Amino acid sequence: MSENKREEEQVVVFQLRNQTYGIDIDSVLEIIRMESIVQVPGTPDFVEGIINLRGRIIPVMDLSRRFGLEAADITVSSRIIIVETSDITVGMIVDSVSEVLRFPLSCIEPPPPMVGAGNVEFIRGVALYDQRMFILLDLARILVDDEKNVLSLMDTEAMKILV
Amino acid sequence: MFSDVEMMVFMEELEEKIQLINDNVLLLERDGESPLVIQEIFRAAHTIKGSSAVMGYEKMSRLTHEIENLFDRLRQGTMKVTTPMVNVLFEALDTLKVLKEEITGNAGEVDETPVIGKIKSCLEDSGSAPADTDYPGSTAKAPEIAAGQETVDIFQPDEILENMIREAEVRGYQAYKIYVEVDPDTQMKNVRAFLVFESLQQMGDIIKSYPSAEEIQDGRFDKGFSLVLFSREDQGEVTNLIMSIAEINKVEVTPLETNGEATAGKTSGEHVEQTAQETRVLNEMPKEAAEVRKAAPQMERTTIKTVRVDVQKLDSLMNLVGELVIDRTRIDRFAEIFEGKYGTDDLAENILEISNHLGQVTTDLQDEIMKARMLPVATVFNRLPRMVRDIAQKLGREIDFIVEGQETELDRNVIEIIGDPLIHLIRNAIDHGIEPPEERVRLGKSRVGRVRLKASYLESHIVITLEDDGQGMDPAKLKELAVEKGVMTAEAVARMSDRDALELIMAPGFSTAKVVSDVSGRGVGMDIVRSQIEQINGTVELDTVTGYGTTFFIKLPLTLAIIRALMVSLGEQVFAFPLTNVQETLAIKREEIKMIRHNEVIVVRGRVLPLVRISDIFKIEEADEDRLYVVMLGSADRRIGVVVHRLIGEQEIVIKSLGNYLGQITGLSGATILGDGRVALIVDARGLVKELGTEELAYAAN
Repeated sequence: MSENKREEEQVVVFQLRNQTYGIDIDSVLEIIRMESIVQVPGTPDFVEGIINLRGRIIPVMDLSRRFGLEAADITVSSRIIIVETSDITVGMIVDSVSEVLRFPLSCIEPPPPMVGAGNVEFIRGVALYDQRMFILLDLARILVDDEKNVLSLMDTEAMKILV
Repeated sequence: MFSDVEMMVFMEELEEKIQLINDNVLLLERDGESPLVIQEIFRAAHTIKGSSAVMGYEKMSRLTHEIENLFDRLRQGTMKVTTPMVNVLFEALDTLKVLKEEITGNAGEVDETPVIGKIKSCLEDSGSAPADTDYPGSTAKAPEIAAGQETVDIFQPDEILENMIREAEVRGYQAYKIYVEVDPDTQMKNVRAFLVFESLQQMGDIIKSYPSAEEIQDGRFDKGFSLVLFSREDQGEVTNLIMSIAEINKVEVTPLETNGEATAGKTSGEHVEQTAQETRVLNEMPKEAAEVRKAAPQMERTTIKTVRVDVQKLDSLMNLVGELVIDRTRIDRFAEIFEGKYGTDDLAENILEISNHLGQVTTDLQDEIMKARMLPVATVFNRLPRMVRDIAQKLGREIDFIVEGQETELDRNVIEIIGDPLIHLIRNAIDHGIEPPEERVRLGKSRVGRVRLKASYLESHIVITLEDDGQGMDPAKLKELAVEKGVMTAEAVARMSDRDALELIMAPGFSTAKVVSDVSGRGVGMDIVRSQIEQINGTVELDTVTGYGTTFFIKLPLTLAIIRALMVSLGEQVFAFPLTNVQETLAIKREEIKMIRHNEVIVVRGRVLPLVRISDIFKIEEADEDRLYVVMLGSADRRIGVVVHRLIGEQEIVIKSLGNYLGQITGLSGATILGDGRVALIVDARGLVKELGTEELAYAAN
């Protein structure tokens, strides 16, 4: 098994604006259907709001807006992927989630330099597998960027008291 | 090396004992020498000495050894308590605390020798050189107990025991002192002892024992052990019962009277504390010596049944209950649907019943967990007497510091925060409030100033009152000072009422002390006090009578996790306003809103109230309706009205953070989950008022 781990990568595959993306399965907490999102004023425009995930308040972002694209159209196949890094739990709205895929690490290539759609910074690499192409996302960069830094710089002490 | 758990136990015990010594030294200084108090300190010092030696902290062990010596002398009456001595003792305690920090790695190398030197000189001052008491680790000297003379502390009923005996007598119980001797050849000392305990517990309650129950049941006693038993059975029955156990050599059962006649008749001041090690030494002593034993009261240890729990566990329990509550509400709704569909069908009724019961249980569960998070306010209050003493001494004041209501319980988060503001207020009271003794005498007041700190419940709040009988404050002087310091203009001050003038002391940059001392008077204090207290949704008010003293009222919520809030809706969204900041609500019509320049205002009872729109603050769309509501928010002396569409009502809400990702958002202090699973945003009313509220005074003047 450990051998596999090193040589293979398991990703959750989802669609967004007709593109196929992959995100490392280890960081995915769960995938839920769309539900009513409460808007939170004063947040970056890609933050849709917050949801109640079984008693936890989870912020939800519109991934396509995060990429600087148009807001996602919410359909029946829209999903919220709940991802978790060390200290942050966030939901990401995607157009649909198709599968969980395992492919060898050798399939992964660094992002081609000409991808200039504005979201190149979030791309960890591109995987070609089974004659399909997946854009692998760098979650850390999606969650932590300049705007996030501004937010986290604000004093979180006051919040801790409330928790 | 010692395990983390052992370390933790050691540290906790250390903390506890240091506090205990601290409290008792204060008592000693205030009430003079008392054998009980000295004994208490001696024991605590002894415990620290023992455990620190075992753990290998020699400095601490050496220092406590000296403290113990000192109290040994006090116990024997060859020395008197003096102020310089108390000062040295406090210094020693502080050193102990630093030594503790050194162990945890929070402090660097500590030199304990100067303090030890001071203690030693204290001892020498009083005359003959100190008799070195036993030192753990060294081959313990046999305690100086003359055979047959050793008294049994256990049977020297202290006040508590006496009261218990009296109470027991009322309920028809007789108190017995029992001495049990086990066959010295037995292989199973602990088992025999255990059997004695078991059998006796069937016929009554064991109130005290020496050595402690744990020690006895581990077999850590010499030949025999002593007990105090409350039982309805007569003497003979008790004796027979114990004799029926195998390998018991000797049983002595004597009724214990409240007047202590049954005792061997020596005062507790002469008892020698014994540890398990010493008990072993006693093996070599004459039989008679071991016959009767002195006991350390083990009462507290046997009556308190507690478990230490990580706060995080309580927090996650709380979250889980929160989820349960939400699910319960969902079941409620299903039950209603069922009822609608199937009417009075059994199934529907069953579901209804289940959901009702679930509701009750979850509410109870929530309450219990809330209670478990509470701590007595004593955890903060205990630190204060010592501080009062130090400040009073430094400033040459004489203070009688009275603390009441220590048992009042508060959420631990609140407790963590109120310490600093309280310390500050008390400092102020002593420094600025209480006059020097001579002046007090001149004013016809008692020499000793009184500072009273009291905690009590008031509805779902706790109120901490701090009262001094000092010089009070003079509103006129405060106004003058405010102008002098440039905090306010002369005109603004002239319009001020006396009450408002008092509030001036909480304005930034305001300090009334003429001389800035290191105790107080830097003028940064009171506004910080206020903001710290408001940060936890509390309020500070004060009342003063010039010449007669000042009283501060601090009102605090019992908990921070749950607040009462006014729920309002604006279009689809639900918002929660913390009730502490809501002053009133008004129903208004669209046309009542007036404009002053570009600002919307309404007139409430002749006063102008500035209005704000949630839509403006949060930049969301809002359809205007004809009938609106205004929520009047206030914090300190500022007011604003917030326009909302509908008032939903008051509700207790669990505050949840918006999470690390969003961090702090202006105007919001978190979110909460409503009964139906929807999310509502909690408005940071205080921040809003601070930012947008206009001072009432300014408007009132228009």
